[in-house]
Amino acid sequence: MLRFAFIRITRALLTVLLVITFAFIVLRVSGDAAISIMGDDASPQAMEAFRKAWGLDKPIWLQYLHYFIAIFHGDLGHSMRGGGPAFDLVMSRIPATLAITLPALLIKLFIGIPAGIYAALNRDSLIDRSVMAAAVAGFTIPNFVLGLVLVQLFAIYLGLLPTGGAGGWQHIILPVITLGISGAAVLARFIRSAMLEVLSQHYVRTASAKGVSWPVVVRRHALPNAAIPTVTIVGFMVGNLIAGSVVVESVFSWPGVGNLLVVSVASRDLAVVQCILLLVAATMVASNLIVDFLYGVLDPRMRNPSESKGK
Amino acid sequence: MTTVENTAQVPETPQTLKVKKKRMPFLILLSIAWIALVIVVAVFADFIAPYQYTSINLHNRLAMPFSPGHLLGTDELGRDVLSRLIISIRISLLVAFGATIISAVLGISLGFLAAHFRGAVEQFILMLADFQAAMPFLILSLSVLAFFGNDLPLFIALMGLYGWERYARISRGLALSASGQGYAGAVMQLGASPLRIYLKHILPNIASTLIVSMTLTFPEIILLESSLSFLGLGVQPPMTSLGNMVGFGREYMTRAPWILFAPAVLIVLTTLAVSLLGDWLRDRLDKNVH
Repeated sequence: MLRFAFIRITRALLTVLLVITFAFIVLRVSGDAAISIMGDDASPQAMEAFRKAWGLDKPIWLQYLHYFIAIFHGDLGHSMRGGGPAFDLVMSRIPATLAITLPALLIKLFIGIPAGIYAALNRDSLIDRSVMAAAVAGFTIPNFVLGLVLVQLFAIYLGLLPTGGAGGWQHIILPVITLGISGAAVLARFIRSAMLEVLSQHYVRTASAKGVSWPVVVRRHALPNAAIPTVTIVGFMVGNLIAGSVVVESVFSWPGVGNLLVVSVASRDLAVVQCILLLVAATMVASNLIVDFLYGVLDPRMRNPSESKGK
Repeated sequence: MTTVENTAQVPETPQTLKVKKKRMPFLILLSIAWIALVIVVAVFADFIAPYQYTSINLHNRLAMPFSPGHLLGTDELGRDVLSRLIISIRISLLVAFGATIISAVLGISLGFLAAHFRGAVEQFILMLADFQAAMPFLILSLSVLAFFGNDLPLFIALMGLYGWERYARISRGLALSASGQGYAGAVMQLGASPLRIYLKHILPNIASTLIVSMTLTFPEIILLESSLSFLGLGVQPPMTSLGNMVGFGREYMTRAPWILFAPAVLIVLTTLAVSLLGDWLRDRLDKNVH
């Protein structure tokens, strides 16, 4: 188990390292920072002073090292538009994003998981067909289209809810539904196929054959085994809490991280974009790590990496 | 929804497979017909479009659908929505096809490299694949767009990074098992170069799996392109794409919803058709892809 933990943590750290390196390379390749910040018509002396002040005249590996140290001090540069530290700006937007992504996650879990299990246990029933149809629709209808249809319906025709912006609880409803519905349908389909896969296994047939009642087979044999692939996709959804609502935030002008990202990309506010990129990477890596440990808890076979090799 | 319920992985004997292969469900025929129509429209866009997609007519702004001369109405600058839609289909399909091909070529090459060299090369490629799979692609592509700006070739190349890790994993796995099957070893004994073995012998044998994977990735790229264009960060005006039209049409949503909903419906129908076809192909040809 210790070896398992060590390998997983090393891999997580390597991924973080890779993202930081990616950001560094992209930042250096994308042009001379002195020109892009000072402008084309700055005097050569001023440029030189700027390069010295920011360490741009040093060898590239030393720059990389400084960059690295700065990141771990939480120093991610300043927003070009706001002027404040990029890190603080991004942090200030996180509560707004979580206010819509967390309820959406709950909808996905509380609708998606039971619907998927029910559909698998009652194959070809009306519910099963509806779940599959909804899953296909949830995948093919992009979030921005669904969001705009909901706005058209509930905000413009019926006038029940605001079209966008932040304010009272009414503002949260449409973004949450937009995020939740399609996610729930996709999750339901995933769980359905995970369950069907497990139900077709020999051990399920064996359990039935030796006289275990069907509800017990489902509860004791099928559900725990179907939980393993489920943990993966739910982990991905948790990792996406911060970054998964870019489009929806933009549709509803919701003042969260996603909206900040879009605005920053459009105005090429590099420090903010980089900060969000690193934050998202860290969240993803952390949630993947948790998923890996949950695997170990759920499935003892996974604890020994030499057996899970090959795929 | 006859095709949809078949997506579960039920073991099938060769006999049932053969019987099912002959009968193509109506929905799949419909999907293929739609895809063919969209491709024809994209290829002959210049001949089909009734107007120049950029031609402005300020006297006839926001005309309703079915108004004389404008089947789908006009937009805020009096441009014909139908003509813009037709050109948008071309650009969106161009991006999606270009990106799918780039991603497949890149992924398959890396997969074969990993299978051929093993060791450190393989570990490095697998690490990159893990990284790609773990990061939300939308965020990655947004940051690249922020740093490098945007023009069409760069945008297509960027979209071409989407999904390469799937092809890499599949082609690596299949190449490894193919080299164990004897035919690859036999050609090698005959003195064929590794490049020849991979391209002329292994690739044709694993092509069906890869084609299924491409069909499943294609709609995702359409959605990705339209999301980015919707955000105003993908295809840039004066060029237009489906997502682009939705994004700009949004401001006239209350007065002229057709500007927005015409391309939206087209995106949904096209991704629906391609993914139904992909699911069906997967069930028929291959069970390895998930």
